Amino acid sequence: MNQRINELKHRVRDGEHRVLRKKEPIGVLPECEAENLSWMRRVARLTVRQCEAETVVIEPGERIVFSRTLPSEIPSIYSADDWGHLTAGSKLHELGPINNICADWGKTLAQGLVGLSKIAQASRERYKDDPEAVEFLDSAIETMEAVLVLASRYAREARRMNCEEIANILDRVPANPPHTFHEALQALRFMHAVVCLTGHYHVGFGRFDQYMWPYLEADLESGRLDENQAADLLAEFFITLNKDSDLYPGVQQGDNGQTITLGGVDREGNEAVNELTYLVLKVSRDVGMIDPKINLRISPSTGLDLLSLATELTRKGLGFPQYSNDQVIIPALVEHGYSLQDARDYCVAACWEFIIPGKGMDVVNIGAVSFPAAVDQAFRQGLSAGDDMDGILRRVEADIDRQVRQLASSYEHLLLPPAPYYSALMTDCLERGQDLSKGATYNNFGIHGAGSANAADALAAVQAFVFGDGSVKPSELLSALDINFEGNELLCTKLAEGGPKVGNDDERADFFMIRLFEMLADACEHYGRTSRGGILRPGSGSAMYYIWLAQGHEGMQEPVVGATAEGRRKGNPFGANLAPSQGVQIRGPFSVLLSYAKLDYQRVCNGGPITMELSDTVFRNEESIRKVALLVRSFTQLGCQQFQLNTLNLDTLRDAKIHPQLHKNLIVRVWGWSGYFCELSPEYQAQIIARHMYQIE
Amino acid sequence: MTTGIIFDIKEFAVHDGPGMRTTVFLKGCPLSCIWCHNPEGQSSVPQVMRSAAGVRQVGKEYLPQELATLLNRQATLLKVGEGGVTFSGGEPLMQADFILEVMDLLDDLHILLDTSGYGSERNFRLLLERVNLVFYDLKLIERQAHKRYTGCYNDLILQNLQVLSASGVPYVIRVPLVPGVTDTNENLTSIAGTIKDMPGMLRVDLLPYNRAAGAKYRAAGVEFKAEYDENSPVNANVVLFENAGIKVRVT
Repeated sequence: MNQRINELKHRVRDGEHRVLRKKEPIGVLPECEAENLSWMRRVARLTVRQCEAETVVIEPGERIVFSRTLPSEIPSIYSADDWGHLTAGSKLHELGPINNICADWGKTLAQGLVGLSKIAQASRERYKDDPEAVEFLDSAIETMEAVLVLASRYAREARRMNCEEIANILDRVPANPPHTFHEALQALRFMHAVVCLTGHYHVGFGRFDQYMWPYLEADLESGRLDENQAADLLAEFFITLNKDSDLYPGVQQGDNGQTITLGGVDREGNEAVNELTYLVLKVSRDVGMIDPKINLRISPSTGLDLLSLATELTRKGLGFPQYSNDQVIIPALVEHGYSLQDARDYCVAACWEFIIPGKGMDVVNIGAVSFPAAVDQAFRQGLSAGDDMDGILRRVEADIDRQVRQLASSYEHLLLPPAPYYSALMTDCLERGQDLSKGATYNNFGIHGAGSANAADALAAVQAFVFGDGSVKPSELLSALDINFEGNELLCTKLAEGGPKVGNDDERADFFMIRLFEMLADACEHYGRTSRGGILRPGSGSAMYYIWLAQGHEGMQEPVVGATAEGRRKGNPFGANLAPSQGVQIRGPFSVLLSYAKLDYQRVCNGGPITMELSDTVFRNEESIRKVALLVRSFTQLGCQQFQLNTLNLDTLRDAKIHPQLHKNLIVRVWGWSGYFCELSPEYQAQIIARHMYQIE
Repeated sequence: MTTGIIFDIKEFAVHDGPGMRTTVFLKGCPLSCIWCHNPEGQSSVPQVMRSAAGVRQVGKEYLPQELATLLNRQATLLKVGEGGVTFSGGEPLMQADFILEVMDLLDDLHILLDTSGYGSERNFRLLLERVNLVFYDLKLIERQAHKRYTGCYNDLILQNLQVLSASGVPYVIRVPLVPGVTDTNENLTSIAGTIKDMPGMLRVDLLPYNRAAGAKYRAAGVEFKAEYDENSPVNANVVLFENAGIKVRVT
């Protein structure tokens, strides 16, 4: 990285650009009310006014521009009363605006906003008798024009500042298709930033190495760029993605969904790794910032050189890449109604959920089933009623079914606000004359299955000690749980250390984990089609529920559980995603993979990685990097779905708690994303420190 | 039926041989090297480790079938690349009968023996017939110094070294570099002289002293007395080996 890039990076990390930000959101509501605009028109107006209100900022040394100056808060377009009436009886997903999907960036770049507007015009002609379509298309055109005006204001300012290169680029893009890699990056920056400016969040970048490669390839072939110059531009692009991300909504700082997906196969099934795949990994390694978060699609035939390069990012402690196994995921998506070509084109949404760029309006995270709660209530009712293990499992099954129904029914009246600008960037909303909020090709819902290892361990402990050797009486267990094992430390230790555990390739525990996910998949199937015509996709991610289910949270419907039968005390967090229960003795990485290889990922297909932390002493030399790469490849050979490898140094984490100012740049993986350790809340920091870390010496 | 006593089984042991490996640490060692970083491997009976993290029983008995089953379950992973199983310790030669029985039951896995060479020649020969690679430690060539720092004379070790070089089994010589003890130019020159031109040797690995060596002593209830300056830099003098025509690396 050269000096220019280093300076850009440090300016962003130090937040120097933030002084230019406005404190208060602009007012859009009065004109919306005065003109009595429809919802669609109001969103379009919001987009226009936000673009107009942006102050043009071109900082010294920049070659890719746009810095957001508008605050995180998005201006209201309805009064509280009107909003209440508008949304009465409906369910909003999280904050409301469409989020956690991915635009068709390839098409968007190839058309340019002028090209897209022409498509919209042609559509408008076709649908001229359909007022709803006309309104949508007019709104989409209006928003795209606003983006073009913003870009031309940037161009003017660049010219005034004698930044001819920037000015010339902005004369072309995002209006027209880019001619060069540089233009493509600039176009993408503008088009993406405006999506965020209107309240959308977790706006993914999708298959970056696929849609950007033609531009880079042409530059390399013509000699316009060499690899170093390309790396320089890419580094700057990545740094710009770290500029505004603190303004994006998320559960914790860093949870901003700026993901890119690399590698895999193309829509015809051919190997799709290219030179840009490698370049992205190298540049991300060298820049060393939390955005963009990288997902790498791999298969058993992926080369060790690529996996070794990816491992170098892991070694740097970035918490990515996260790996997805094409061999398992593509057939599972096909099994769930995705066309083969689309399935091959999948990318990863904000955390781990699979989504088809441009075509997926899936809501991949409607909530989580709490496995620990299902098991806990089954013990409370079943053990008192004299159930055997089968009886207990039937109660668990019924409760999981109930939780799924409750979650899914609450989304039967899902209300997605209109999104004319985002729609324009999708594959065929303009052609169909229909807003994205009405649906796209795929309209499924995803449900996480959280706390699986703890719940399975609890079942295994009861099987071993209550029904097996009879050493624990049901009443003793239930009362100990009620009082958080106070005065019965021996029982707590016995359950925590004596029972079989998920992650040790132990059938006695793994059996229950497999059953829990089968029950989740069954419940999703039983539910059938939703009112949006989609299905429920069961997944193995936990999102933030590994904390929330244990400690409670206002934004959650799922029940909180107290002390649990695997010897976990009240309030202690669960394992994140697919990871053994915290604090239990685990033999090591092989056993963890072997345990999780037993899951049926053809059914459990919403995503959710095996999450594993390796001590930083593992990565001592090139040979050990190669071995980590082998471990990653083995994960695919075992038929697992998704893998998240992180590296930690416990001493560093503990020191960062005491001296945060010395560890401002310390990055950790949280659940499906990376963030700066010192910017996390204490409960998330504590859970990371307590994770299993596989020491090698 | 012989049982074995094991103090740890480490999966994905990236520094214990080629490929992805699982290392079995056999409990019990005839040496008591003053720099030993696995003091819980010295005694051949189970013992209790006490630390801030709590009390932990170290040392578990295994039947050969039990250990073999555990390792065979990992065979898919251990067969990737040049991976396999490493028998380390403690001193695996002390439990040669057990290891032999386990090896009979293993599912065609690459086997690495990590040994100090201090054991009966008979046992060593029996194991050599079955293993694919040996990591052989050479600490000190001077006989009295070896006695002083490891508690034993090195006659047996140097004899078994000859057995090894004649066996046809490939091997790596591993030299722990302990500041002022084993890393002197004099000792390293003697080691180079001893192994120069030995057939079958792949290379020498110089292993810089692990400063965390003393970490586990308190927990094992043993006093740790560093008779050397733990903080002084080690003398990883590769030139002494290169000059003797020996391939060498520092790991």
